[in-house]
Amino acid sequence: MKRVAWWRGIVIGLFLLYMLIPLAATVLFSFATRWDRSIFPEGLTLQWWHAAMGRRAFLMTLQNSLVISLAAMVCSVVLVTPTAYWAHLRARKARPLIELFTNLPFGVPGVVLALALIRCYARFGGSIVYSPGMLVAACMVISLPFMYRPVVNALNAADVRTLTEAAHSLGAGWLATITRVIAPAIRSGVLSGALLVFSTVFVEFTLANLLVGARFKTFPIYLVEFTRFDGRQASALAVISFLLAWATSLAVLLAMGKSDQEREGALGAR
Amino acid sequence: MSLSRGRCERRVDRYRMRRVTAGCSGGRGRPWGAVLPWLPLLPFFLFGLLMEVIPVATVLVSSLRDAGGSATLENYRRALSPAIRASFANSIRLSAVTAALGVVLGSLAGYAIHRSRSALFHRAATALADVATNFGGAPLAFAFIVTLGSTGIVTLLLSKALGIALYPRFRIYSISGLVLAYLYFQVPLMILLVQPALRGLRREWKEAALNLGASTAQYWVRIGLPILAPSLAGGFLLLFANAYGAYATAWTLTGADINLVTIRIAALVRGEVQLEPGTADAMAALSVLVMAVCVFGYLWTNRLGRRGRS
Repeated sequence: MKRVAWWRGIVIGLFLLYMLIPLAATVLFSFATRWDRSIFPEGLTLQWWHAAMGRRAFLMTLQNSLVISLAAMVCSVVLVTPTAYWAHLRARKARPLIELFTNLPFGVPGVVLALALIRCYARFGGSIVYSPGMLVAACMVISLPFMYRPVVNALNAADVRTLTEAAHSLGAGWLATITRVIAPAIRSGVLSGALLVFSTVFVEFTLANLLVGARFKTFPIYLVEFTRFDGRQASALAVISFLLAWATSLAVLLAMGKSDQEREGALGAR
Repeated sequence: MSLSRGRCERRVDRYRMRRVTAGCSGGRGRPWGAVLPWLPLLPFFLFGLLMEVIPVATVLVSSLRDAGGSATLENYRRALSPAIRASFANSIRLSAVTAALGVVLGSLAGYAIHRSRSALFHRAATALADVATNFGGAPLAFAFIVTLGSTGIVTLLLSKALGIALYPRFRIYSISGLVLAYLYFQVPLMILLVQPALRGLRREWKEAALNLGASTAQYWVRIGLPILAPSLAGGFLLLFANAYGAYATAWTLTGADINLVTIRIAALVRGEVQLEPGTADAMAALSVLVMAVCVFGYLWTNRLGRRGRS
């Protein structure tokens, strides 16, 4: 039995090392002065961070990425939540077809999606296909599975059909049912889906590079450009990217965990 | 026991559904009865048609046509030229290697995490895997350049402290470097995929096998692995598709000089698509075929696994 625990310790240790070393290296690198001759950096500095964040292009690309991610997030919530709710309630036969549509993006690589959109819509003019709006729509496609899954799980967990019937039989109208009964019941699923969409879209490089490129530069494009000519500042940008990914993931966990606690609390009160 | 309960729930479901639909639309009497419930789903399906089905279908159809619009296989003949064939071979080999390594390492790590007694560690490790799955792309590639590039931190550490020179034999900017970088999102993905299957593996089965005189190895070969097999096979297919479609990591790490399918298609999209649109279409169509096999295979193994567990 002890032998087994020892084996597991080594596996977990190696896994954690492999996961954490590249992150730690990037963080250290962004604070180091010169680090190519000795084992340890020759000094520490905030110079690279200062330089990277001082540029106008930094704020602009960050803002562009935020706009694209927020737009994709809001549109996904508006498009997917009512669809999933209605299919759950009234059109259960449509669900396999909806699942097919939400799983399709898994089978279409980003470069193929970009190519397909360009080949399909370029004939209507470049201002349509190479636009931020098209980028938002394309990002919604690749994040469809991340939005749909949590919402459906929440709908299943909340037993939404019974809730709807109960609300109706108690005299609530459609609007009241949706805003005061259904929305709070599936809030955590919608929230975690939305956050997943946000974090997926924020780091999306392929579609942004192929569809808008330099016309509407996003943060990942800016980062890749920097890796080509200034590694130190690029590492600062990469750290920002990592922090953002961690923050959104943490928010997802909190959103899910909190709803569990709420449910437990409600049970206890009863 | 669980099977009969499931059947019972389904019957209740069906009963409820009949009541709800009967209350809402006219049922079979009116011709609109069958269509009306689908109407609110229109925006979603319209979006799917315009953004997924029609564009991909356009590419598939135009890959079978020449510039004049008549049917031809010329695009495929050109897409199977030696250089492009090599890109398919590279992509498939890279995907297969990272998927196989990902399945083995991810399952081992997943098992170690699964068996740990601390619930907090379990949650933290799963959260880490969750984040790392989505890390991919430019920042990840750059982190690997900083770590294992020619003046990377680990490269330095190995050469100064241990006297091991990684370069020039190993290069992070090559296919073997890509394997190392891809594993960073492949292993965590496998950890997430294997967790439900591991939870389905009952401890009593192992105890029973050991009580009946089996060794731990025998338990794994005869009982544990066969039960996990559908999940492992499905994991392999999903990891394969994941690596095959990856572009940003490879592009940041190696630039355009590595011969992968996604890199080639992207190059055609960015510049030369006007010159050879047919070739790009044919490569895209073949990629969709590869991915479709993987995804449908994954869904099929998923169903097998679910049936095995219930």
